[in-house]
Amino acid sequence: MLAKGFRKYAIFISFIAPAFVLYAAFLLIPTIGGMFYSFTDWNGLNPDYDFIGLGNFVEALKEDPDFIHSLLFTLKYVLFMVVLQNVFALGLAVLIETRARSKGFFRTIFFMPNMISTIISAFMWTFVFAQVLPQLAEKTGIAFFGQSWIGNPDVSFFSILIVSLWNGVGYMMIIYLAGLQGVPQSLREASVIDGATPFQTFRNVTLPMITHAITICFFLTLNGAFKVFEAVYGLTGGGPGRSTQVITMNIYEEAFSNNFRYGYASAKSVILFMIILIFTFIQIQVMKKREVEA
Amino acid sequence: MRQKKSTSLLVGILLAIAAAISFFPIYLAIINSFKTQGDMFRSFISLPTQISFDNYAQAFDKINLLGSTFNSVVISVLGIGGIVLCASLAGYKLSRTSELLSQIIFFLFIASMLVPFHSIMIPLTRMAKTLSVQGSTYGLAVVYIGLGVNMAIFLYHGFVKSIPRELEEAAQMDGCNEYQTFFRIIFPLLVPITVTIAILDFLWIWNDFLLPLLMLTDSADFTLILSTNTLFGEYNKDWSLILSALVLTAIPVIIIYAFFQRFIMHGIAEGAVKG
Repeated sequence: MLAKGFRKYAIFISFIAPAFVLYAAFLLIPTIGGMFYSFTDWNGLNPDYDFIGLGNFVEALKEDPDFIHSLLFTLKYVLFMVVLQNVFALGLAVLIETRARSKGFFRTIFFMPNMISTIISAFMWTFVFAQVLPQLAEKTGIAFFGQSWIGNPDVSFFSILIVSLWNGVGYMMIIYLAGLQGVPQSLREASVIDGATPFQTFRNVTLPMITHAITICFFLTLNGAFKVFEAVYGLTGGGPGRSTQVITMNIYEEAFSNNFRYGYASAKSVILFMIILIFTFIQIQVMKKREVEA
Repeated sequence: MRQKKSTSLLVGILLAIAAAISFFPIYLAIINSFKTQGDMFRSFISLPTQISFDNYAQAFDKINLLGSTFNSVVISVLGIGGIVLCASLAGYKLSRTSELLSQIIFFLFIASMLVPFHSIMIPLTRMAKTLSVQGSTYGLAVVYIGLGVNMAIFLYHGFVKSIPRELEEAAQMDGCNEYQTFFRIIFPLLVPITVTIAILDFLWIWNDFLLPLLMLTDSADFTLILSTNTLFGEYNKDWSLILSALVLTAIPVIIIYAFFQRFIMHGIAEGAVKG
């Protein structure tokens, strides 16, 4: 009996182990290790270090204006992204859904940018912002095109948004399209017969039927937006100065630019993790409740 | 009826404009990549007066196109293969056992899906150095397996529930051991979800930038994306060269998109709903 139990156990281990060992090495231990070192003043080189409690966290949130600026910049970006990405994606999905023959064509076109890596997209747009638009302004005399799309942080915030949206809307659109396909045609027809306007049908029939898709898309956008890196790296590199630096970039700079403040950089990483965790938790709680009601 | 027709026309025009704007950057990149420098600065919008392939010949060389593409393919194929193999084994077993240990391990995998990559990139880089997987394409593929199994296990775990247990019992009665049962009976049934997983992981690994940037040190090992990044940094005023490189980098994914569009879109919708 014991032998049989052991055999069963061994088989269990042999199925799980390959995945678990690699997962432990590259995800689990780094996660725990990062949290551990966030409470120390380790420089990443010396064998010894001291525990300094919450010192790193206090410093990051109180005495590091660059970090706080990157935090606020990221929050602003997240807010715009969550709203705009979902509005555009849902809008496109709803409009495309009404097309009979050209549905496939539009879906293909709008999703295409998503296939291109974000960093490549950012380079492509750098060309548009730095070369094409200024020339266009010169030729047409429309001053709007001639703005400092990359050099002025107030404007480049929107340049970063444009690149992110261009790159990301397609993905969400696909999810919304799948959600819309799950809405029975008969329901919409019934509401039309009852005299509902297209907007009323959308508001009262379609929208409640796709709340699940909305929850997922909000979750994905929220999560992704906090982790923005490539779009900014490719477009402004965080500059001029650190004016368009996002959190991930601030962590990257702290960790890999020879500051040797490993513990401090880890604390910033933990802060990012906690922020994402709290925001997604709230979002899921709020939206799940609505899903049940609908 | 007439009103309906005009609304439909309006929607069509609106979509066409949006599509044109969406495609515009790609169009600009393509037409300008064929221009000479002088031709380009006369006008970015107009079509090239004469088609020049010089930029492409130069970019082909500078980003080591064949070598970089090969590296990207190696990393993607090994990474996806490893994720599918490890995760299907683990996801299947975790789904079929309900002991406390099994539940704890499953929870660990799922919970880790919330950990943002940027929060672990520092310790991860150190770990990769310690295990000396840093600086090699094979090593990078192994790291991708470690980072990618959690989501794949989650998807396999859910999918296995829909497979009747009688199949395994019958196979075992016919004399299959656990491994034969898995590879001959179960794994073939997992194909639909495997396709979804492979697509999602391909999009992630092929287009990833930060992890290769941290892991690969020798430019001979660089992925397509990394090589293009280097080129962008070195020749940042030579736009015709950069645009050719960007187009060359985008071509593989566009080809894959053209062939697998249905699978990709289905995979994304599927992955999202299950997630």
